Amino acid sequence: MNLIDIRNLSIELTTGTKPIFAVDRVNLTMKEGEVRGLVGESGSGKSLLAQAIVGVLDDKWRVDADRFHWRGNDLMRLSPAERKAIISKDVAMIFQEPMACLDPTTTIGEQLEEAVDVEQLTGFFWQKRQQRKQAAINLLHKVGIKKHEVCVKSYPHQLTDALCQRVMIAMALARRPILLIADEPTAAMESTNQGQIFRLLASLNQLKNMSILLISHDLENVTHWTNTITVMYSGQFVEAGTTEQIFNQPYHPYTRALVDSSPKANRLIPNKSRLMTLPGSIPILQHLPIGCRLGPRCPRAQQKCVHAPKIKNFHGHQVSCHFPLKDSYS
Amino acid sequence: MNNILLQVSNLSKTYKDKNYWFNRKCVTALDAISFEIMAHKTLAIVGETGSGKSTVAKLLVGAELPTTGQIKLNGQTLEPGNFKQRCQHVRMIFQDSGTTLNPSLTIEQLLNEPLQLNTNLDETERHQLIRETLQKVGLLADHMSFYPHMFSGGQKQRISLARAIILKPQVIILDEALASLDPSLRSQMINLLLDLQQQMGLAFILISHNLGIVRHFSDEMMVLDKGKVIEFGKTREILQKPKHKYTKRLIMSQHFQLLHK
Repeated sequence: MNLIDIRNLSIELTTGTKPIFAVDRVNLTMKEGEVRGLVGESGSGKSLLAQAIVGVLDDKWRVDADRFHWRGNDLMRLSPAERKAIISKDVAMIFQEPMACLDPTTTIGEQLEEAVDVEQLTGFFWQKRQQRKQAAINLLHKVGIKKHEVCVKSYPHQLTDALCQRVMIAMALARRPILLIADEPTAAMESTNQGQIFRLLASLNQLKNMSILLISHDLENVTHWTNTITVMYSGQFVEAGTTEQIFNQPYHPYTRALVDSSPKANRLIPNKSRLMTLPGSIPILQHLPIGCRLGPRCPRAQQKCVHAPKIKNFHGHQVSCHFPLKDSYS
Repeated sequence: MNNILLQVSNLSKTYKDKNYWFNRKCVTALDAISFEIMAHKTLAIVGETGSGKSTVAKLLVGAELPTTGQIKLNGQTLEPGNFKQRCQHVRMIFQDSGTTLNPSLTIEQLLNEPLQLNTNLDETERHQLIRETLQKVGLLADHMSFYPHMFSGGQKQRISLARAIILKPQVIILDEALASLDPSLRSQMINLLLDLQQQMGLAFILISHNLGIVRHFSDEMMVLDKGKVIEFGKTREILQKPKHKYTKRLIMSQHFQLLHK
C-alpha cells in the first residue's frame, strides 16, 4: 500500500485581487521504505508541499487536493485534531538550518527529553524521569553521537552544524516516525559533513525501514541517495521516476537541462566549454506564465504550451510535457 | 603565453591574540605560499572551513595586511595599504550578492562609485561605461535606475560581476560566488564568466568547494588544509591522481556519489 498518495494538490495564496497558485496540481506518491528525492529550484514550491503534508501552513494558504491519502486515510476529510494526531505520530521533519531551529537558551539534553514520547515511559514519576534521560541518551547514540555527556550539557551554539543536524534528526526519531521529511538537510554544510548526514539518513532508511522525503535544490547532490525522484518547477509537477530514469533518460526538457548543466554529472564535456543552459530566469510568484510555466524558457515550446499539459505515464516514468523527449533515446 | 600576471611569493598571515601580555598565542591562518597566475587562466583554491582559503582572498585584495611576503602584478609590487593601485586591478565577488549590494542606491549609483573614486572620467563617459558594462553581463541599460531588491538572485550576482569588471581589472577573485545560485542560473553564470575571460583576458581565482565546478572551470588548483598547501598543480592531474590523503578524501566525499551511475 502506498504510504502517501497525493493527487492534484494545489496550494493557493489568497490575495486581495486574484488567488495565486504557488503549487499547481502536483502529484506525489511514496511507498513504504522508499527514499524519494524532491528536486526543484528556489520558488518551485517544494518546501510548501512538505509543509502542506505536515499541515503547518498558516491561514493565508489554502490547500486543495483531489486525493490526499496517508496509509489509506483521507486526510482532507479528517478534522484538524484527528489529522494532527496521525501526522504527529507518524511524520517527522528536519529543517535547513539546524542551528537556527534549536532553542538557543536550553541545553541539548533538555530539548531532547522534551521530545521523548510519553507513551514509551512506564512506572512512577521518579522512574519516568530516569527513563526519559536514558531515552534521550539512546537517541543520541542512534544518530552516531558517542560522547553523549558533553553533548547533553552543551547549548546549540557550542556544537558544529553537522552535530546540530544530528541532534535534529535524533529529535525527529523520538516518536519513531514512518516518514521523515528532510528539507534541505545539508544546505550550507561542508561536503565531508554532507556525506555524514546523508549516510546517517541512508542507514536509518535501511535499518528501520523509515521512508525519507529528501528535498533539495540540486539534482546532482541527491542522486546517490534516492530510489526515486520527483522534479518540480515553479510550483508545477515536471517529472517523476526512478533515479536512473531521471538521470540517464530525462523526458522533460527542464530535467534534461538540469542534468546537462551539471558539470559534476557530465565528465565527458571538455574543460572550459560552454555549458548547456536555459535562457532567462525563474519567474516570480506575481508574474507566473500561463499553461506550462517553463514555456518562455523552454527550447521545445510550441503554441500548445499555453495550456497546462496532462501527465503522461511511460511505465512508471511520469512526465508533464506536451512534447516529451521520449523519442530521442531510442 | 609566458607573461606572468600575478606573482605571489612567500605570502603568510598569523594572527596574534592581544588579550594576554605574556604567553601570547599566535594563530597561523596561512603558511607561506607562493604561486603564479597567467592571463586567461583560472586558479582554484579548495579546502574546508578554516583551511585559510578566504585568508588568501583577503590578502590579495588588501583587506588584510600580510605578515610576510609580497604580491607582484605584472612585475610591479602591490604595496599593502595602497588601495588606489590595487582595487583597479584586483576585484572580488562575494558569495551572497544580496547582502553585498547597498539597498539604498540604484544600480547606476552603485556602479558609479568605483568609477568616481578610481578614474578621471566625466559624467557622460561614466554613464556610457555603465551602460556598456551592464550589457556585457547580460542586463539592460534600463536596469540602471532599479534598486537591488527588484532583481532576482541570479541578476544580483550579475550586478556584482558588473561592479567587478567595470574598472577593467586583470584579476577577479570569486569567493564562493557560484555556491548560492540555483543550478540553471549557475551554468548561465559560468558561461558568462568564461566568455568574459576570453574577451578581456581576465585571470580568475576561484574559491569553491564544489569540485564539479572546479574541474570544469579551472586550469590549476591548490588544495589547502590548515593554512598549508597540500597539493598544487594542473586540475586535471590532481583530480585524476590525487597524491595526498586529504585530497583523496575530499574527492571521494563528492565524486563517489555519481560514480555508479
